[in-house]
Amino acid sequence: MAATTHRLHEVPDDLLAAIDWCYEQGWTDGLPVVPPIPERVNAMLAAEARPPETVIARHPATGLDLSLYSAAVNAVMAGCLPEYFPVVVAAFEAMDKPDFNFHGSTASTGGSAPLVVVSGPYAEAIGMNADVNLFGPGNRANGTIGRATRLILRNVFQMLPGISDKSTQGNPGKYSFCIAERSRGNPWPLLCEAQGYAEGTSSVTVFAGGGFCNVENHGGNTPEQVLITVADAMANYGCITLGQSVVVLAPEHMKIVADAGWTRERVQDFLFSEARRSVEGMKRAGKFLDREYQKQHGEGAHALAAAGFVHRGLMPEDILVTMGGGDAGGHSCFIPSWSRGRASLLQHQPIAPRADSKTS
Amino acid sequence: MQLCSPLSTAPKRKAFRAPPLATLDGARIGVLENGKLNAEAMLNEVAQLFVQRHGCTVRTLASKKNASAPAPGNTLTTVAQEVDFLITGLGD
Repeated sequence: MAATTHRLHEVPDDLLAAIDWCYEQGWTDGLPVVPPIPERVNAMLAAEARPPETVIARHPATGLDLSLYSAAVNAVMAGCLPEYFPVVVAAFEAMDKPDFNFHGSTASTGGSAPLVVVSGPYAEAIGMNADVNLFGPGNRANGTIGRATRLILRNVFQMLPGISDKSTQGNPGKYSFCIAERSRGNPWPLLCEAQGYAEGTSSVTVFAGGGFCNVENHGGNTPEQVLITVADAMANYGCITLGQSVVVLAPEHMKIVADAGWTRERVQDFLFSEARRSVEGMKRAGKFLDREYQKQHGEGAHALAAAGFVHRGLMPEDILVTMGGGDAGGHSCFIPSWSRGRASLLQHQPIAPRADSKTS
Repeated sequence: MQLCSPLSTAPKRKAFRAPPLATLDGARIGVLENGKLNAEAMLNEVAQLFVQRHGCTVRTLASKKNASAPAPGNTLTTVAQEVDFLITGLGD
């Protein structure tokens, strides 16, 4: 690979001093970073076939570009290995799609963090965790891919807390928010398959996640019992909007659902139908907006949208449902979308195999 | 030891402030509303102050489909030809 000609800084030839120097530059998320020496950056870039100058995302307001080179520098700082780099790249190619609106979802008081969901064989090939402690801690790939996403938002796009990132309360996912979809024991088509990618092609799905809500149910033994708890979390007054949802079913819950023959589509229909609040209740909470109600119930409304109720989302397909987590425990989760509406929508992107073919 | 910069490699975009208007009297106002809860009411209230105090006229009411995304380029291009200054802002 040709040597990169980008800006280099001379720092003391001491690793700890270099870490401190990175802090002084304002390059970190508050945690120490791996000093981005050229050798590691070039090793990261070797995982990508395109030239380092290739632009993969652009900030719509400031015009700041994300090149593969800058992505690689930040991936090194986050602690990524080169085999993780195609996932970081695909995540930003997905986030660059206008409907994801990464500027708004990052800058907003709503405080969302980009959830990165990796689906397909590439997740296992690079050692990602889809199992126990799904959301962390403990796995380098999950932790550092998510962290690279944050560092890029900070360093490349200058989404700085308190300045251009005005999140009211922040979000622990802003340090890292990355999981793999569990394929072991998964009775449904994987997300990458449902998204229409060719067999063997993995994908990254990105979602501006507003937080994390644990959904506990150890007593329910039917799909309806399990899913009504999920729907209730989705419809709580603090979360209900016309926005999209991510639901990660624990294997225990998935077994109950799948053993009864429920498909992903049936689960989506059930959750959309049940995740709702009455118009009166929404008014009582001061959250009813007639224009939103009309959007959900007016022309083109989904058949499951019941009159007199506000549902979460506009249609069942607004609910991404998959499986993840350890074998034991009736703990699923619901992740609400950013803020109040549909200003950021789920996006996905295929993962390009490593250019140097060390992992495929 | 050499370290690579993690900042954007894009050249810094040059931005310029528009020159101030010589006078507000009789100027044409554009209002760019962002769809937030009280945006339209608040922005129209502000516009009316200019109408009362400077005899301005409100020429254009444009709406952004997405409050948190930049206004589409063609919206701004159109509005720019019809007004002397634009009022915009959030309204929560």
